[in-house]
Amino acid sequence: MWEQVEQSLHSSMVRVMNQVATLLPGILAFIVAFLLFLFIGWLLALVARRILKLFRFDERMGRGANAIAEWSPRATPTMLVSRVIFWCFVTAGVMVGVSAFEAGTSEHIVSGWILGYVPRIVGAAILLLAGNVLARFVSRSVLITGVNLNLSYARLLSMGVRWMILVLTGAMVLDHLALGGEIVELGFGILFGGIVLALSLAVGLGSRDLVSRSLEREAARPVDVPQPEQIHHF
Amino acid sequence: MAVIELSDETKRQVERIGSADLVVGIAGPVPAEELRSRVEPIVAGLGSSVSLDRIVFAFAGPYAAAPAGGAEGESASQPRVALLPYAPPSAASGEFWSGVSVQQRTILALAASLNARACIVLGADLAALQTHVLQLLAYAVLDRQCVLAMPVYPAGRYEGLINTGILSPLSRSLFGKRIHYPIAFDFAVSGGMCGHFLRQTAASNGAGPALLWPVTVAATQFPQQAVGQVHVSVHHRVATEGLELSAVLGQMVGSLFQEMEQFAPQWQRVRGSQATPVWGNAPEEKPGGEPVDPQPMLDSFLLGSRNLDEVWRLILPPNVLLDLRRLTRTAPEQFRMPDELWAGIVYDFALAYRLRTISRVHLLGALTPLYLGWVASWIQEVSRLSGAALEQRQEQLARAWEEKKPYLLSRWRWPDRFNP
Repeated sequence: MWEQVEQSLHSSMVRVMNQVATLLPGILAFIVAFLLFLFIGWLLALVARRILKLFRFDERMGRGANAIAEWSPRATPTMLVSRVIFWCFVTAGVMVGVSAFEAGTSEHIVSGWILGYVPRIVGAAILLLAGNVLARFVSRSVLITGVNLNLSYARLLSMGVRWMILVLTGAMVLDHLALGGEIVELGFGILFGGIVLALSLAVGLGSRDLVSRSLEREAARPVDVPQPEQIHHF
Repeated sequence: MAVIELSDETKRQVERIGSADLVVGIAGPVPAEELRSRVEPIVAGLGSSVSLDRIVFAFAGPYAAAPAGGAEGESASQPRVALLPYAPPSAASGEFWSGVSVQQRTILALAASLNARACIVLGADLAALQTHVLQLLAYAVLDRQCVLAMPVYPAGRYEGLINTGILSPLSRSLFGKRIHYPIAFDFAVSGGMCGHFLRQTAASNGAGPALLWPVTVAATQFPQQAVGQVHVSVHHRVATEGLELSAVLGQMVGSLFQEMEQFAPQWQRVRGSQATPVWGNAPEEKPGGEPVDPQPMLDSFLLGSRNLDEVWRLILPPNVLLDLRRLTRTAPEQFRMPDELWAGIVYDFALAYRLRTISRVHLLGALTPLYLGWVASWIQEVSRLSGAALEQRQEQLARAWEEKKPYLLSRWRWPDRFNP
């Protein structure tokens, strides 16, 4: 009996070692492909950056399309282009590596799944980036405008706008990635609806007395004669 | 904005007139009858004081308003007069100064087309359409051979504060010309330079609102030619209703920052400033008037310092932020913003504008509370000064800007050496 146990253990170990030996070339192929494309991507990004600086790409872009600089001032067009090139090659390296891994294992399930999901990841990344840039730009606009209008709650307003845009972006990203399903939609709907309802109640109930007092004061106030401005800025 | 193009009908009118010695342009729509009634006594008053054969008065209006031939002079000593309506470009309805600048460029284009010896541009409210104003401007350009003559308005101590606090001292320190009003409703240009003003402003177009800065063009393109000033007793009525301070400040200061960027090679070579000749009689000193309460401006500055710290931190160096923080803890009656600090702040904003540290719209919006802090400090200082003392104080402010210029130069040339 002990001989049979020993034989079973030996054969199962041999099977596992065989499977590892089968997978190992694929794993090595993945690592080699990824590192190779990483290196190529880094090299080409460096070359692209040098060429674009030589041709004064930032200055030329700055004259015509100020949109990038206005929305994301610290990321120059040159840097954006070189980063796009780098990450394209990294992505290609991952896909080639996965394909090489599957060539070794003769199973194409993973690559099929990844290839099908990559567009969603790319779309979600773009959505996330755009949402963050938009949130920063709009919140800063609201902050500065609020301060110039002498609103004491300008910062609060700005934070509220930023978080609303970020929450909306997060919900869109999760929906695009098909993560969470209806839970995300439901949760977002409840959250936004709750915020709007809370604001309505706060303004409606909280300012009821304020509005009525303000209207009474307005009705009782004598007609003001406009005073001439004492300071002229322009 | 593209190069100023005259409409076909305007070109036909110009061809019919042929040429003119002096073009007086009204930068805005004016009823032709009102203009004609104002022009006749003025031309009679000009008489032989200026040696002109033909004067063309250009104004924005319908072509049927005035025939191009106009009225001939009643006597041989009076110049011949023609009224020339022009169609204002569509961009003339832009915000505040943009519209005015477009009209001014159109008038310069007309003067260039008519081969005029001089061109005088006046504000649309006709406040400057007076004999002595035209005489002085024509004298400066035609007799004294100035390439440009700018006005000196009789401003009170609380008037034109954007000009006093930013535009005039910045323009002076950059381009070395001591001009009270570097941008104005009224000015005169020599004829040979009209076309050059157009070419220059056309080259600077294409990036943001392009205002017309006559002093910048004269100082950079014709540094050896004289620029003069004339005292004009004119008060322009500026419709301020609906105008937001931050929008106007952003437009005017942003435009001057653009000029800085464009003419960087020129202003970096300028050291100090030169006095410019002034003609005409200085107005009588106005009474001081009631002191103004600086508290609203101070409140705006304090609100800005509490809320915009994260934005200012991207633009201003730490020592300036520290000085501003100290100012916020000062008692209101002792609130004083040093001239050097204020000049440094504007220079830092100019640099951030050039480097696009943050969005330019945000940058110029974030300047408003700082400007109001300066205004609060300024009006407390000058409220009890006499006219002469006020002028000295303004001169002191302008010198502080000149002395701070090496700081601007070093940061402009080597921006990476210090980056907040």
